[in-house]
Amino acid sequence: MEFVQDLLTTFNFIVQGLWVTISVTAVALTTGVVIGIVLAIVRVYGHPFLQIAVIIYSVVIRAVPVIVIIFILFFVISRYVNLSPFWAGALALGFASGAYQTEIFRGALQAVQSGQMIAARAIGMSRLQAIQSIVLPQAVRLALPAWGNEATLVLKDSTLVFAVGVPEILRRAQQVSARTFEPFLAFGVALLLYLALTLITTQALRWLERRYRLQM
Amino acid sequence: MQKQMLIILAFIAASLVMSACGGAPAAQPTQPTAQPTQPAAQPEGKLAQIRAAGKLIVGTSADYPPYESIDENGNFVGFDMDLIRAIGEKLGVEVEIRDMPFDSLIASLQEGKIDAVIAAMQATAEREEKVDFTIPYRMTKDAFIGAGDTTITLNKPEDAAGLTIGAQTGTVQEGWIQKNLVAKGLTPADKVFSYERADQAALDLARGRIQLVLMDAEPALELAKQNGLKVLLITEETAEGGKSIAIPEGASDLKAELDRIIQQLIDDGTVKQLQDKHGLP
Repeated sequence: MEFVQDLLTTFNFIVQGLWVTISVTAVALTTGVVIGIVLAIVRVYGHPFLQIAVIIYSVVIRAVPVIVIIFILFFVISRYVNLSPFWAGALALGFASGAYQTEIFRGALQAVQSGQMIAARAIGMSRLQAIQSIVLPQAVRLALPAWGNEATLVLKDSTLVFAVGVPEILRRAQQVSARTFEPFLAFGVALLLYLALTLITTQALRWLERRYRLQM
Repeated sequence: MQKQMLIILAFIAASLVMSACGGAPAAQPTQPTAQPTQPAAQPEGKLAQIRAAGKLIVGTSADYPPYESIDENGNFVGFDMDLIRAIGEKLGVEVEIRDMPFDSLIASLQEGKIDAVIAAMQATAEREEKVDFTIPYRMTKDAFIGAGDTTITLNKPEDAAGLTIGAQTGTVQEGWIQKNLVAKGLTPADKVFSYERADQAALDLARGRIQLVLMDAEPALELAKQNGLKVLLITEETAEGGKSIAIPEGASDLKAELDRIIQQLIDDGTVKQLQDKHGLP
């Protein structure tokens, strides 16, 4: 009975970090999608110079640990732009994820058969129109499974934003553990919350995949 | 069909962003927000800036009870937290506490993200190179502990002369024993025992293999409670240094004011009272 009581108190405290974790992940994934799609298009169809720029971004960002990007954004960039810890952390995760998503969408764009582009141009579409209406919709569908994987990785990377003081699920678990000296209970609750979030995300994406599958 | 899907994706993205904006966690002020009095043209000096903002932003690492932790309701509690609020009251400003990892505190202070750090922090030489420190608000204390049934009584550290004594290797306490007991001929060198960890020394103490252990007072109290040992003497004389508040380098006006307030709180018994409240020796 006492255990149930402890569990409830611990859960009620840690669950307050749930919204922070969801917000950080949502901002990071959204930023990442925008960066990823735009840069992937540039990487595949853009001017050669721009293609090189995208390759540099993608290689450099993927080579740097996410925590370093967070520190750079929070301690260096925000000398000039006033960024709160939340936005510094979430956007840094977004920039990092953007590099991975660029590669995901690039692969997907290249997997769309080149005949699609040629046919679209042949019926009078501009390049941009063809990308927007013919190639991209197919590529996004192809990218979904890999993107779902990236989404769960970003969810777990969201624990890193505590380094700049954003109290997400894991930090709240640490705080409880420091107070109650019951790490098993505290981190157990955190584990269950992450598990639930991951399951919901993967289920939602699986539904999207099925909903928009192309009949070929 | 394709358009429809793009629109749905865009909608999801937009709603995520909007919900995220709404959920951005505000730093928790410890008191109901007092309106900042005047926006003011950037005043000279850190202290004047804090006064103008009406708010002292303090960083801590809230995982070190009884100094700082977070209670079930999400409030910052502990000795350091009560002390910094008392200091804020004397300064006449609101205190806003921010939780972050201990390792990020000094960097945040250097970058001006926070105005001060209170986190049971000692003013070490490495830290002194990066930031400034106030006078210590609490001296580090050591404890002599003995077996539960010991008949030894100590009134001052030197009373330990001649007794078998243990300490952790390389610690300040071991240094004190060597310098003040062994080098002065009060205790023969073969009666001093060095241990890898303090809890191992406590185990030997409980088994009767040594008569005394000298170590940090706070873990000593915990060890004594767990192993049925007796705390014989708590003293500052064997210890070095104390816990200070870190402030940005060169903020001399802020340092002068905080030093004055800390001294005042020590003199009027507030610090002692807070120590007792949180069970600190």
